[in-house]
Amino acid sequence: MTSRPRNATWLRMAGGAAAAVAAFYLPALAGGSAVAYSTCATIAIFAVMAYGTDLVLSYLGEVSLGHTIFWAGGAYVTALLATRLGCNAWLTALATVVFAVALAFALGLATLKTREFVFSLVTYAAAVVAMEIAFNWAFVGGSDGITGVPRLVLPLGFRTYAGGTSAELWPVALGLLLLTLGFVDRFRRSRLGLAALMVQMNPGLAMTLGLDTRRVRVMVFVVSAPLSALAGWLYAYQRAYVGPDMFESYFLVVMLTAAVLTGRRVLLGPVFGTAIILTQQNLLSVGGDGDKIILGSVLAGVLLFWPQGLVGLWRFARHAVVKRSRGVAQG
Amino acid sequence: MNLAQQLINGVILAAGYACVAIGWTVLLGAARLVNFAHGQLFMLGAFAAWFAMRRAGVSYGVSILVAVVVMAVLGIVMQLAMRRLVVEQNLTSLMIVTLGFGYVLQGAAAKAFGGSPQSLVSPLEKASVRWGELWFSWQDVLLVVVTLPLFAALWLVLERTRLGATVRAVAEDPKLAQLFGLNPAWTYTGVFVFEAASVAFAATLIAPRSPILTSMGFDEVILTFVVVVLGGVGSIGGTLLASLGLGLFTAFFGALVSPAYTTAAAFAVLLTVLVIRPGGLSGAR
Repeated sequence: MTSRPRNATWLRMAGGAAAAVAAFYLPALAGGSAVAYSTCATIAIFAVMAYGTDLVLSYLGEVSLGHTIFWAGGAYVTALLATRLGCNAWLTALATVVFAVALAFALGLATLKTREFVFSLVTYAAAVVAMEIAFNWAFVGGSDGITGVPRLVLPLGFRTYAGGTSAELWPVALGLLLLTLGFVDRFRRSRLGLAALMVQMNPGLAMTLGLDTRRVRVMVFVVSAPLSALAGWLYAYQRAYVGPDMFESYFLVVMLTAAVLTGRRVLLGPVFGTAIILTQQNLLSVGGDGDKIILGSVLAGVLLFWPQGLVGLWRFARHAVVKRSRGVAQG
Repeated sequence: MNLAQQLINGVILAAGYACVAIGWTVLLGAARLVNFAHGQLFMLGAFAAWFAMRRAGVSYGVSILVAVVVMAVLGIVMQLAMRRLVVEQNLTSLMIVTLGFGYVLQGAAAKAFGGSPQSLVSPLEKASVRWGELWFSWQDVLLVVVTLPLFAALWLVLERTRLGATVRAVAEDPKLAQLFGLNPAWTYTGVFVFEAASVAFAATLIAPRSPILTSMGFDEVILTFVVVVLGGVGSIGGTLLASLGLGLFTAFFGALVSPAYTTAAAFAVLLTVLVIRPGGLSGAR
């Protein structure tokens, strides 16, 4: 790949900034109701959650079934610190990141020698253990969870930003999403991102070039964990309640579907995937069980019939249209 | 605590784990395919038997047969859908696809059978044996008595027959097996059908012990993860041994330490073993 010309990079940044500003006004354009704000904020939060799984799936080619640990763990850390010690949101976010990195490091080392389905089984097993602990340990609220998480308080130096309602949380959710996008974009072009791809596509070559495949795997896992955890951080404030239900397979299925629906290794993929899933569930719901059937079918159907996702479908359609119009012109 | 009673409980639990794990371990060994819908297949097997008894009024014995046949057909359908991915050995996508299937099955079962608990009535569950301080039902006896020959038969088929040789050859190297005129796609289908049918069979034996719900499956199956991985993937004897160990561990841990943390403790054992011996207990690597 040749390096991009300088003005193309500027153009890309300007386009991104314009899109971010447009996204900021999206809930207001959609009517500005509390539902519009909460739907948009939830989409942003779930998308950030999905990026954690997406990094491991798209760049490492492994299926982590344990990212609900980071998602729920981040929320638990936040809720505990906010309710028991009255910490502000900066501190809870910092603690969340530290917690996620430490846990991911331990789990990454434990799964160092596992591959493919054994890796998935073990990460799944870890999630089950975590859920059982959360469910039974009185310190973290047991089956009742932690209620009454105070509103988000972010001291900014010159003033303090407080977020209680969905409309107030939306800028924070969008900011977190933009930070995540920037982070993932950097990751894709970083040495680690490229190394991960090489380990996935051609492990033999990666070894020959002197890459430590195990180190790369652990590092990607460690890097991915804080994303899901920070999503849990904001979710704790949005819902004002954290409980063992955050370990439920629903979140896992949403993460994976969001990662594969649009197409793997597409920067904005999980955002679009999450938006599609949550729009269906919030606006076009057919009941809890029906939504389960839809979500599961989408997840299985995409991989069975269109592994490249919606991006692949789009390319195929464009190709077909171009071909046909050429055919018409010639005929 | 009564030591003998916990021993009996442990053996009964072990038979249950082994029965649920048998299809899974063959599937993993032969097709390297993890079926994350295994729990939902368990649930559906129990409900298929329940539905046959409730609607068609068949006896418990016939309902077992119905459940096995229905689930075998479902297995064929699932395998046909996944055919391309299985032949490509696209394991990552396969795992996610089965997770999606499981989600669909759970939603569909909840729609079809409702959310209230039902009971699959076996005549043997009511008949219990009291032996001094000890207690167990004839259903438990049936579970233990059926599981052992099942494992013996499977071992014989896999190790001593042409069919078993085919499965082992495909498991070893699908491309090479193809070169020798074997059809891996058919083998995968056969193994998958066996998995679906055997878990349905296990469900009909285990489900009468407690009420059945469409949301179940997860708890019943989750511990067989431990069995399959600890026993060494694809190893019949290892699975049986790991089941016994886990059954006794669960019974005694629940009685002596804490019933709430038994699953976590079992998984902690699994994690520890995997760190020390990544290939499982019987694994050579």
